[in-house]
Amino acid sequence: MEVVLALGIGVLTASGVWLILRPRTFQLVLGLSLLSYAVNLFIYAMGRLRVDAPPIVGADGTVDPAALTDPLPQALVLTAIVISFAMTALLLVVILASRGLTGTDHVDGDDE
Amino acid sequence: MMNGWASHLIVAPVLLPLLASATMLLLNERQHRTKNAIAMVTVLALLAVAISLIVETIDLGFSGGSTTRVYLVGDWTAPFGIVLVADWLSTLMLLLTSILGVAALIYSHARWDRAGPRFQTLLLLQLMGLNGAFLTGDLFNLFVFFEILLAASYGLLLHGSGAQRVKAGLHYVAINVATSLLFLIGVALIYGVAGTLNMADLATIIPGTSGAELTLLQSGFAVLGIAFLIKAGMWPVGFWLPRTYAAAVPPSAALFAILSKVGVYALLRVYLLLFGGDWGWTGNFGEEWLLYGGIATIIYGTVGILAARTLSRVAGYCVIISSGTLLGAIGAGEGAVIGGVLFYLVSSTLGISAFYLLLELVERRGSEASVRAVVEPVFEDEYTGARSLAGEDEVGVVIPASIAILGGGFVFCALLLAGLPPLSGFIAKFALIQGLLDLRDGIAPAIWVLVAMLIVSGMATLIATTRAGIDLIWTPSERQPPPLRLAEAFPVGLLLLVCLGLMVFAGPVMLYMDRAGSSIQDRQGYITSVLGAERASKEERGPRER
Amino acid sequence: MVTREGILWLALVLPFFGSLGASFLPVKARNSAAMLAGLIALAALALIVSLYPAVADGAVVKSRVEWLPSLGLNLLLRLDGMSWLFALMILGIGLLVVLYARYYMSPNDPVPRFFSFLLAFMGSMLGLVVSGNLVQLAFFWELTSLFSFLLIGYWHHNESARSSARMALIVTAAGGLCLLLGILLIGKIVGSYDLDIVLAAAEGIKTSRYYVPALILILLGAFTKSAQFPFHFWLPHAMAAPTPVSAYLHSATMVKAGIFVLIRFWPVLAGTELWYLIVGTVGLITFVIGAWAAVFQQDLKSLLAYSTISHLGIITLLLGLGTPLGLVAAVFHTVNHATFKASLFMAAGIIDHETGTRDLRRLSGLFRYMPYTGTLAMVAAAAMAGVPLLNGFLSKEMFLAEALEFRDGSLLDTLLPFVATAALALSVLYSLRFIHQAFFGAPATDLPKQPHEAPFWMRLPIEVLVLICLVVGVVPAYTIGPVLDAAVRAVLHENTPYYSLATWHGFTRPLLLSLLALAGGTVAYLLLRTKLNSAGGAPVIRYFKGRRMFETVLASVIGASRRLEEMVGTRRLQSQLRILVAIAAFAALLPFIPAGYAIGSERITPVQPGFAAIWVVGALCAIGSAWQAKYHRLAALILMAGAGLVCCLSFVWLSAPDLALTQLLVETVTTVLLLLGLRWMPKREPQQWRRGRAPRSVLFRRGTDLALAIAAGAGMALLSFAMMTFPIGHTISRYLVEHAYAEAGGRNVVNVILVDFRAFDTFGEITVLAIVGLTVYALLRRFRPARESVRTPEQQRIQNAFDDSRSERDRGDTLTDYLLVPRVVMEWLFPAFVAFSLYLLIRGHDLPGGGFAAGITMAIALVLQYMAAGTRSVEERLRVKPLSWMGAGLLLTLFTGLGATLFDSPFLTTWFRYADVPLIGKVPLASALLFDLGVFLLVIGATALVLIAIAHQSIRTPLRRRDMELISRSEGEV
Repeated sequence: MEVVLALGIGVLTASGVWLILRPRTFQLVLGLSLLSYAVNLFIYAMGRLRVDAPPIVGADGTVDPAALTDPLPQALVLTAIVISFAMTALLLVVILASRGLTGTDHVDGDDE
Repeated sequence: MMNGWASHLIVAPVLLPLLASATMLLLNERQHRTKNAIAMVTVLALLAVAISLIVETIDLGFSGGSTTRVYLVGDWTAPFGIVLVADWLSTLMLLLTSILGVAALIYSHARWDRAGPRFQTLLLLQLMGLNGAFLTGDLFNLFVFFEILLAASYGLLLHGSGAQRVKAGLHYVAINVATSLLFLIGVALIYGVAGTLNMADLATIIPGTSGAELTLLQSGFAVLGIAFLIKAGMWPVGFWLPRTYAAAVPPSAALFAILSKVGVYALLRVYLLLFGGDWGWTGNFGEEWLLYGGIATIIYGTVGILAARTLSRVAGYCVIISSGTLLGAIGAGEGAVIGGVLFYLVSSTLGISAFYLLLELVERRGSEASVRAVVEPVFEDEYTGARSLAGEDEVGVVIPASIAILGGGFVFCALLLAGLPPLSGFIAKFALIQGLLDLRDGIAPAIWVLVAMLIVSGMATLIATTRAGIDLIWTPSERQPPPLRLAEAFPVGLLLLVCLGLMVFAGPVMLYMDRAGSSIQDRQGYITSVLGAERASKEERGPRER
Repeated sequence: MVTREGILWLALVLPFFGSLGASFLPVKARNSAAMLAGLIALAALALIVSLYPAVADGAVVKSRVEWLPSLGLNLLLRLDGMSWLFALMILGIGLLVVLYARYYMSPNDPVPRFFSFLLAFMGSMLGLVVSGNLVQLAFFWELTSLFSFLLIGYWHHNESARSSARMALIVTAAGGLCLLLGILLIGKIVGSYDLDIVLAAAEGIKTSRYYVPALILILLGAFTKSAQFPFHFWLPHAMAAPTPVSAYLHSATMVKAGIFVLIRFWPVLAGTELWYLIVGTVGLITFVIGAWAAVFQQDLKSLLAYSTISHLGIITLLLGLGTPLGLVAAVFHTVNHATFKASLFMAAGIIDHETGTRDLRRLSGLFRYMPYTGTLAMVAAAAMAGVPLLNGFLSKEMFLAEALEFRDGSLLDTLLPFVATAALALSVLYSLRFIHQAFFGAPATDLPKQPHEAPFWMRLPIEVLVLICLVVGVVPAYTIGPVLDAAVRAVLHENTPYYSLATWHGFTRPLLLSLLALAGGTVAYLLLRTKLNSAGGAPVIRYFKGRRMFETVLASVIGASRRLEEMVGTRRLQSQLRILVAIAAFAALLPFIPAGYAIGSERITPVQPGFAAIWVVGALCAIGSAWQAKYHRLAALILMAGAGLVCCLSFVWLSAPDLALTQLLVETVTTVLLLLGLRWMPKREPQQWRRGRAPRSVLFRRGTDLALAIAAGAGMALLSFAMMTFPIGHTISRYLVEHAYAEAGGRNVVNVILVDFRAFDTFGEITVLAIVGLTVYALLRRFRPARESVRTPEQQRIQNAFDDSRSERDRGDTLTDYLLVPRVVMEWLFPAFVAFSLYLLIRGHDLPGGGFAAGITMAIALVLQYMAAGTRSVEERLRVKPLSWMGAGLLLTLFTGLGATLFDSPFLTTWFRYADVPLIGKVPLASALLFDLGVFLLVIGATALVLIAIAHQSIRTPLRRRDMELISRSEGEV
């Protein structure tokens, strides 16, 4: 599993990096979103992988930390997701504004 | 260790601005008088809080007690919850921030807060982010506050819209989003190895790690460091900085002056705490990179400032030079220099901020007004009456002899940035060089270069500022100088006055800086006070009934 | 009873207060400003004079105030004989200059400002000479540069004043910084900046390995200030300043600051071979060049300026010799030069003032108009030329004697007497020329003004100075003698040499030489006078135009840095991101270079085929969207969503239900956002390259980018893999899991972390959302879509055409019918959505869900309405006040957190209990729930705001040409 996940992270990162190096604003947005997927998985992976061990305490409140996956990275990822969502939205709007004001969708606001 | 309201003072710098801005969100734009009042009260309150905190620091410090005050948010002990830490350094930064906040807000009243909606709200949130970043003792929480201050800075940068700002904003946002991803990667790696996010806890764990895990950890810190350096505007990852700052409206730019310093602060904090002291720092992990990077940055800044064609670019490169100086000095790794570094940090931040406020007055074009076109409302609570600035330009007391005052202010700013007397710039540069020139075991070539660059960059700043200043102020022009309003002159005066104070009371100030410098290198003291902090409620909390 | 220290302090601060006071006077208050300045100068002078007894017998007045003790920088006033002598010059001549300036300055100038600067300069100069701390000395040194800049630029309406002021500032300030650095080195060698301690440590300094850099740096400072070759060029141009300034700064005081520093450091730096070589040579060259250039000047003031340079050269040369007698002569000549040069400048000022020109070729026969001035000028010039019975003669004698005495056999030494005599002859020549040209010969015809004698008060200062020249020249021993002695003793102490101040030493070789010089100079003048008038600048060194060189150097430096900036910097986002990625990758790699890459011992969980399968899809989606993003945006977007979906699935798989849920929701909203955004993107046709295929540069860039991307991907993969193979050691989440239920009363640990353990993060996170909402709101309010992207989409146009063709239908009906079914469905679905989101909100604490998820769901519900029913109708039906929601949400969370403080617990401390609610069952009434509710409100507000704001744009009109221009103009293109 680890290998698969690692490869997945790798591919997401690679395509994300490729996209953010492109000249068009839309590519930039997509690239950053892909990168944020990759980073979210990466953070998650830092808590190691566990299958079928969601960090939810039994109804009776009995706890066995060893039996549950590490919840903290998940919490961090949640925060990260929200923030990256916000940033994507903002970036999109900035891009639209730039498109409206400069008349181009080039990241530098001018077609050379 | 909760003793009444005083103990909540530490969290106030974060909560006050949020409270104010949340309230201001409920008011619509017709009530801008009310909002002005709220904002002004808030920044003044922040100033008061910062002052009382720093006074407390000084009292504790000179009564021999531990100055590191810890606030357990949510009443969870470190390292499990999030802690806020007020100590020499953080309270200093709080004070600096609140001073800039006051200046920027007052200045904005002259006209800029009307160049677009919700300026003051964003400004307050910016302050919140800064304060939080300076206070927090938790690595991930630091990330969150970085995001807050970044988001707010996006808003402040784009305030007033227009192609220039939007273009610059696009770059700024893109680069910072990428940077934040780096930040996350770094934090994740660190957590993966150390299993904790609390800085003090990390400081205890790191010396224990070894082998491949240590490599991963260092890799994480390297990435994190890059994130900080990007924010500090180090060459070659700081190209965005001058253009971005130049595009922002003056009050925003004045606040941005401290934004780049946040990166430096984080470096100081994290690296001195986690790699400082006995191991790592002397085993200089990434230290020489910092030194060379700093030198390269100063060189780039010098080149840029000579090349700059407009005052705003000059100011932008002043920021670069200042960052480079700080990074280089930190990288030089002389423990003794940290005091000078902090003095320089404060002085240059104030100077640059004042300069940003001033240069717009000097090269005013005053056509902001024409940007605003009346637009049909998107939302209920949007006020879209044409509040053209032209109509309101007359508000505020217009003070006579504006050119003389502008000239004086300009000269002072230039001297401050070039490191010439009589203002604190001279002392700062002196303190830095004094700390760097340590003849005991000879002077390394790199240090010579750094010192030389300090001098050269000062000269370059002088050349650039005199060129621009003479052209704009001394050269007779038919253009009628715009009326200078008190709301604009006062903040500049305030900032310069603080610099004057730094100069006159250099002794005590430097004493504080040295204490701050040694305190951030006293890792054990920090660790014990943070991890030793006790909860308010001794008894186990839990469901009263099931 | 005032102490001596008190007097000294008073004398120092008086000028500064005076300056401050003068700056507040009204612009036209010429008399009051002059009066103020005069009184201040007079008072300070009196104070200093009153201190003479204290220093006469070699004693020292010291007073110290702690300033920056930790760095050894204290305000230390130290008045000995030497500094007393300089202080006397500064204040005495200062007083005379003030008097002179009162009559010289025109009432139309802002005279108070002038006096304010002048007094400030006086104070700085005074501070410099009484500095007992070297850093303090550097401090005042820079201040003098600053005020000289302001004074030179006083008439800043004319260009030459501006540029000259700037040049002077840059040259002298640069020198000052060098001086500071040198001083810091000295301080480091000695361990203190206290002058006395430094003077005591002479040997240690000369033997230190840092002697050479320190010496060179300090000399750089002194030479720039005292206009020594090759830095002399700024001085003649500084003549653009009002004449009183030239008389004060550029003859008597500021240029002497360099000399003063040389004298101060003489005991610790002089006497070495290097010192002799540098200082001696530079002095000699300056001496000769100055004299030579002065001969050929046509402008009175530049003649005086070059002669000043030359005399400064003499003094430097004397100090360079490194002998005690040399020092004595140097000090003596400094005083003499100050007196006669100041008076000459004032005389020149009068001529300029009365005739309206300073051009020697136009001036002639003024003596009959202004006999007094003429006489005074003659005496002063004679002193400059070194005519017997005048002070100039005496110091010149000493100089020649020194030149002859000194023996070390070097070339410089053997040449010295001859060169000296020749140069002195030159100085005789230009003195003669000055007088004869201006005052004798036929009365000038073409003068701008009809000349007449200057007013008494304007002549008085000159008379005083000339009187001094005479008296000192006749009876030196009884006038200057004791003062000079005190000054010299203060520096040389016990090894003060024997020297006699007498007009007559019998027929000595020095006398012979000086007579030779006098004769030679006179003869030369008689031969050359006509030629000189036609000379356009000095032969040979005419081609050495300091100013132009300076300007050229500056210009080329700036030009070079402009090109360099282009090279080492970039403004393109792509290049910046490229560098960013590369640097980050490199930094991450760095630690592995020594250590190497290793993985941990933890056994690897076996791959489940399903998981692998979805990731194959995911990878393909990612690559595909990277591939398609340029030309097929929609496809790329969908593919990206696919990749996101795979992330969700793997979260489900890897026991992270909360993540899966949130990711899914965010996914949806992001996609919707981007879809809405697509509407405004320009249509893009495949790029047409010349010769069919992309040029090599493009291919290369793509290649590097690809490599970079692969490297980054590989790096992340390797990092994460390595990490996952290490056994999880110490981690704080163990504690979190254990205490989640017991102490925070939540079973869903992730949610508990979000709303309790690390609620502060969530708190910040929603603030970020709010800020972004605000920013979007502010930005889109100004948003205008680009013109061409506003055309109604094709499908819509067809429908409209159809509607138009039918009489009974009106425009847009088809569209409405078209969307009827989905709209109805959506409207029915709305309540369901609301219910679901509330459910998510409530259960959050125990099961996957929570405020954020709930909020997003709600926002989605809203947006669906928009999509189905169209912007206008929705905006008519439901009134959205997102800002208020956001505010409410923030306040709710804030007050929830603050509630704890009432119970004297920290911010965000939670409280909870369970309660049985019919139907729903056992629900936690936790303060965390309130907190989550706040999150919920805010998320709705922010998300809805962003979505709606973008959706709303579609009903906006494009920006009119005019507005477009307005905006581009209004940016002021910074």
